[in-house]
Amino acid sequence: MTTTPTTLADLDRARDIALDLSGWGRRFSFYQPRNFAFWGYLMLVGTGMFVSISRVTREYDAYGPAIALAVTSFAIYAALFWWFTQRIDHYAKLPAKLMLVAFLWGGFAATWMMAASANDAILALYAKSFGQSWALNWGAGLSAPFTEETAKGSGLLLLIALAPRQVRTAFDGLILGAFIGLGFQIIEDIAYAMTSAGSQFGANQIGASIGTIIVRMVSGVAAHILYSAIFCAGLIYLLGRPAEPRRVGRGLLLMAIPMLLHGIWDSLAATAGRSALMLVGLLIAVVVIALVIVVRVYELTVRRERDFLRDVMTPEEARNVVTAAELDAMAGNRKARKRYRKTSPNRRERKRARYVLNAAYDLADELAGARGADTDRVRFARAEVSRIRAGVPSPPW
Amino acid sequence: MPDPETDSSSATSAPRFEPDAGWVPADERLFGVDRRTIPPTLAVFALVIVMSVVLPVINARVPYHDIVKAGDVLRLQGDVTFVPEAGWGITSGVRAGNAPLSGEYPAAATVEHRAVKFTVRTAPFDGDANKLLDQIETTSEALNRGRGVHVAGTHTTIVTDQGKQGATARVTGPHTGGVIAAFVFESRGVEAVATGPSDAGPELTAAVFGMIRSISHPGEKRQ
Repeated sequence: MTTTPTTLADLDRARDIALDLSGWGRRFSFYQPRNFAFWGYLMLVGTGMFVSISRVTREYDAYGPAIALAVTSFAIYAALFWWFTQRIDHYAKLPAKLMLVAFLWGGFAATWMMAASANDAILALYAKSFGQSWALNWGAGLSAPFTEETAKGSGLLLLIALAPRQVRTAFDGLILGAFIGLGFQIIEDIAYAMTSAGSQFGANQIGASIGTIIVRMVSGVAAHILYSAIFCAGLIYLLGRPAEPRRVGRGLLLMAIPMLLHGIWDSLAATAGRSALMLVGLLIAVVVIALVIVVRVYELTVRRERDFLRDVMTPEEARNVVTAAELDAMAGNRKARKRYRKTSPNRRERKRARYVLNAAYDLADELAGARGADTDRVRFARAEVSRIRAGVPSPPW
Repeated sequence: MPDPETDSSSATSAPRFEPDAGWVPADERLFGVDRRTIPPTLAVFALVIVMSVVLPVINARVPYHDIVKAGDVLRLQGDVTFVPEAGWGITSGVRAGNAPLSGEYPAAATVEHRAVKFTVRTAPFDGDANKLLDQIETTSEALNRGRGVHVAGTHTTIVTDQGKQGATARVTGPHTGGVIAAFVFESRGVEAVATGPSDAGPELTAAVFGMIRSISHPGEKRQ
């Protein structure tokens, strides 16, 4: 990937290769009637959406206040997560439309069309085979990890078929997996809140569901979003993509880890027994371990994206649009960006350094959208980097 | 590092052409469809069929073996218990003394015999048995909107073997009949519902009322 070219032509060629490989900046069109995956996706998500909306409208008269509270709370939760993902994805960004497609798969197809009926059947089979008490202890932990992770992860197969030129790296799998998990989490949480609303015979709905909503929101960060992000990164390694060589062992390991975490999470109450202290301790331990693992997977997968960004922006360094220090900060991690800002002598300069980096990221996006060509938008984005560095105020509006 | 002053090469001003997402190479078409998209879609469909059809069918074909023996007691959350009819099948809920490892008994239990299903649910509730039955009726009406199984008829009084007074009413639905009973032990509500074919015999009806009367709570003194 990153070579040692010496001329601008070589650097531009390396940029073209990086853009082709990464798929960065390519537009995604959902409507693809000649794509079999398009019809499969439409059928499964459409049916799941119909089932979900039918359930909400059927129960709205009975549990209206709780449903309104749950939908509002989880919509804010989803918006916050979306913002967070945009913040961590500085590099070869995926189209927002593709993330929405991933979210809808997780929310409507993976839940209602797959996992819900499979979970019910497996739990009942466990109860029949090993007894009700055993099924209550271990049933969820030995069903949901397999059904839900595969249901969510299978969506990535369709997304690859729908966007083969955009989904290129394990990092793409990580981001899309997170959105699939977010969709699953939000719709599952709303379903849980509805169940809680009816748990006291339909009385005291808000009181009965608010606890569920809070617990699901707090625990959700280290649950479905995280599990499917890791699983889908693993799936990309397992399958291999043009920008991500196949690594079967790593792929299988990354797919197994979220299943194991999910199983442990769902078995916490049985593992802790009657000790509330043990339950809280285990819960915190599992969340911390899960977060440590996802950070490691992020660091593992993001390297390739950073290399792409460097390849795309190196010609700009050669053209003196950005400095070597800025390029290192752009293609580095959060610490590298912080270190770069701290080299500025005062607060005002540090702020300007941050704006220069943001303008340089904008330039990278424009270059990717133009497939490396020198378009008006690219030239404008370059001018913006220079303007901000020179401290010239933005035009009045 | 190249010198930008001396290096005359520059990026092209027009983006390189790329076909749109809908373009399918001539050698990859099958009846106009991109053949490369067929295997992953079929793989997903196979998974959907296994999860939503095969597993539920297997479950439906496997019978329950957990049959109630004389002397069994089913226990629910909040120390509520009832004595299921011997010979009926337990489809959810656990026996007293056989709590899950967490120590928390489930909030509901169901036993079935032929086409008759008897479910007991419990949850916190403020009010008396009649208020609870009204609440159940209101929720049921809102959920079913006059269709399906719903509470019908006036409330009548039922007394458990423990001496606890509750409220009961008939439930009706298409080809279905049954009975619902509500009790409130201190601040814990209990709902018992039995549904089955309208022509269920007197023997099953007696069994259902026997199970309802067996509902008890340790906080309630025998009267």
